[in-house]
Amino acid sequence: MNGSPLRRIGTGWLLVLPFLALVVALFLGPIVNILWLSVTDPEPGLGNYAALVTSDNLVGILWTTIRICVITTAFSVIFGYSIAYAMVHVAQGSRNQMLSLLLVSFWISVLVRTFSWLMLLGRKGLVNETLVNIGIIAEPIEFMRNELGVLIGMVHYMIPYAVLPLLAVMQNIDGRVLSASRSLGATGQQTFWRVYLPLTRPGLVAASLLVFILSLGFYVTPAILGGGKVLMVAEYISVQILVTLRWGTAAMLAALMLFGVLALLFLMSRFMKLSTIFGGAKA
Amino acid sequence: MHDKQFMRETVAEGAKAFKEGRMDRRSFLVLCGMAGIATQSVIAGDAEAAANEIVMWNWGGQSEECHGAAIGDPFTAETGMPLKFDTSGPLQGKIKEMVDSGNVTADVCDADLFDAVALGPSGHLEPIDYDIVSKDRTLPQYALEHGVSIILYGYAFVYDTEAYGDNPPKSWADFFDTAKFPGKRSLYKWANGALEGALLADGVSKDALYPLDMDRALAKIKSIKDDSLYWGSGSEAHSMVVNGEVSMGMVWQNRGRNIENDTDGRYKLVMNEALAMPGAYIVPKGNPAGREAVMKFIATAQGVPSQLTLLDCLGMTPSNPEAFAQIPEDQQPYAITSAMNIDNIVYNDPTWWGENGGDAVNAFLDAIS
Repeated sequence: MNGSPLRRIGTGWLLVLPFLALVVALFLGPIVNILWLSVTDPEPGLGNYAALVTSDNLVGILWTTIRICVITTAFSVIFGYSIAYAMVHVAQGSRNQMLSLLLVSFWISVLVRTFSWLMLLGRKGLVNETLVNIGIIAEPIEFMRNELGVLIGMVHYMIPYAVLPLLAVMQNIDGRVLSASRSLGATGQQTFWRVYLPLTRPGLVAASLLVFILSLGFYVTPAILGGGKVLMVAEYISVQILVTLRWGTAAMLAALMLFGVLALLFLMSRFMKLSTIFGGAKA
Repeated sequence: MHDKQFMRETVAEGAKAFKEGRMDRRSFLVLCGMAGIATQSVIAGDAEAAANEIVMWNWGGQSEECHGAAIGDPFTAETGMPLKFDTSGPLQGKIKEMVDSGNVTADVCDADLFDAVALGPSGHLEPIDYDIVSKDRTLPQYALEHGVSIILYGYAFVYDTEAYGDNPPKSWADFFDTAKFPGKRSLYKWANGALEGALLADGVSKDALYPLDMDRALAKIKSIKDDSLYWGSGSEAHSMVVNGEVSMGMVWQNRGRNIENDTDGRYKLVMNEALAMPGAYIVPKGNPAGREAVMKFIATAQGVPSQLTLLDCLGMTPSNPEAFAQIPEDQQPYAITSAMNIDNIVYNDPTWWGENGGDAVNAFLDAIS
């Protein structure tokens, strides 16, 4: 009986096997269903995928989505980096206050935040009314109901997602490394660019990935703050399922998003160990 | 908890089978015994209700109490069957999904007549039984095989009297004329009504609207795109106007009165060339209460008292011609089929929308985004 396959798997695995099978079935089942739908509805074949090449409409929506997600990611990570940097370097008491403020904004629902932006920056919002009343501008500035509005709303929503992984990495950096850099004659700037920034790279990658992937699925913010003119892929998928009944197109786009994200993770894994990013073993 | 839920559902299924004669009385009682439920409580509770109630699938909000008062109460008084609600909104995709999954939980959907054209031929809907439902109690063009119009709603527009007080806009042509009437506009995001308004503005006559000339309509829509916002829900349309984001806004006409009140009359509704949309009741294939019961329910909704209550409660206009003359004075300006408006409205063609709606919505989204 020595070395039977069951024994080698280990009893621990056997215990979780039923649950593992259940999770895999419940998770993979629907995904396979989506993939199947994308090549069978409305007729068998790759017609839905061919539309990616032939339809300017779809290309336009995907391009809008990617553009908005890239810009959102860039701004969220830059702001997030500054916030995390400040949090690491202030006194413990202030850090806790900053963390609670961050978490509070993290917990507020996306709908509430979206409508708050309308009240603040809308055509008749607080900012525009004030500026018009004190005579700085004659016409209200169009902050909302366009792509700028979508970006403001999304960056604001995403900043906490960027701060948290960055904060985790920065807190683990050994301060003596920076002191060593300074004592060897590097200026403050050199120390930052050549020592500190490279050390925080796993956090930067993690924050960027997290923000980008979450942005891809954004629905409520673009729908409301975009005034109907900023159509991102998540809203388009929902319209195709609920209103126009183009389930094949919707399934194709969903599959595309899924594989896009997987490909992104794969690409990243070529450059660094993914386990580092998601808080596993140290690089 | 889940076991209890499962047993309840099993018993409910059993009760349905028992009622339809697929299960004999003894087996049903055994089932109840196994489920640990006294027969008495089953009869009083969910199990019997599943087979003996009408579930209406609507859009929630006020419509729940309004449908209850207008149709539920008289229907229950007549048949003893209660009316319950699923308020998640019967969009075409959801109805299709429900029927395809084989787990139909709604009896009647508060939907659009074009949904009946889109979902009927593919076998997702029960045909309307015109021996029970009356063809005379709706507009003649709105009694279709798989759906019947119960109410009319419409696309009209409101304008800012402070911006255009001396020379108010009167038609869709004025709505689309941003040179003569400068200011922001808001339109419906999912094409419906906006396309018709654009064509009317471009000089197409009411009678020659359908089939819609998509290229011409989209060109007109694009001509005011820089000045336009697009809304996806009634509340969004309402807030765009009330918050002063637009000077003219396309709205569902039944919102017009609330908008006039909320802005102290600053915004005013224009009903000329309002697009009359047939709101219809449609029945998912294999509905739990059975076809006959739900047809009786639909027939109740056609009655004049129900029609007038819906008007009073929701601002939805009667589609039953017998009710037109009884539209109260204060509702006349807002109702589509009142003597005041009926000659100036434009009727939607649900068949065109049912057959071409998907392409039209996608082309519209492409044009505005």
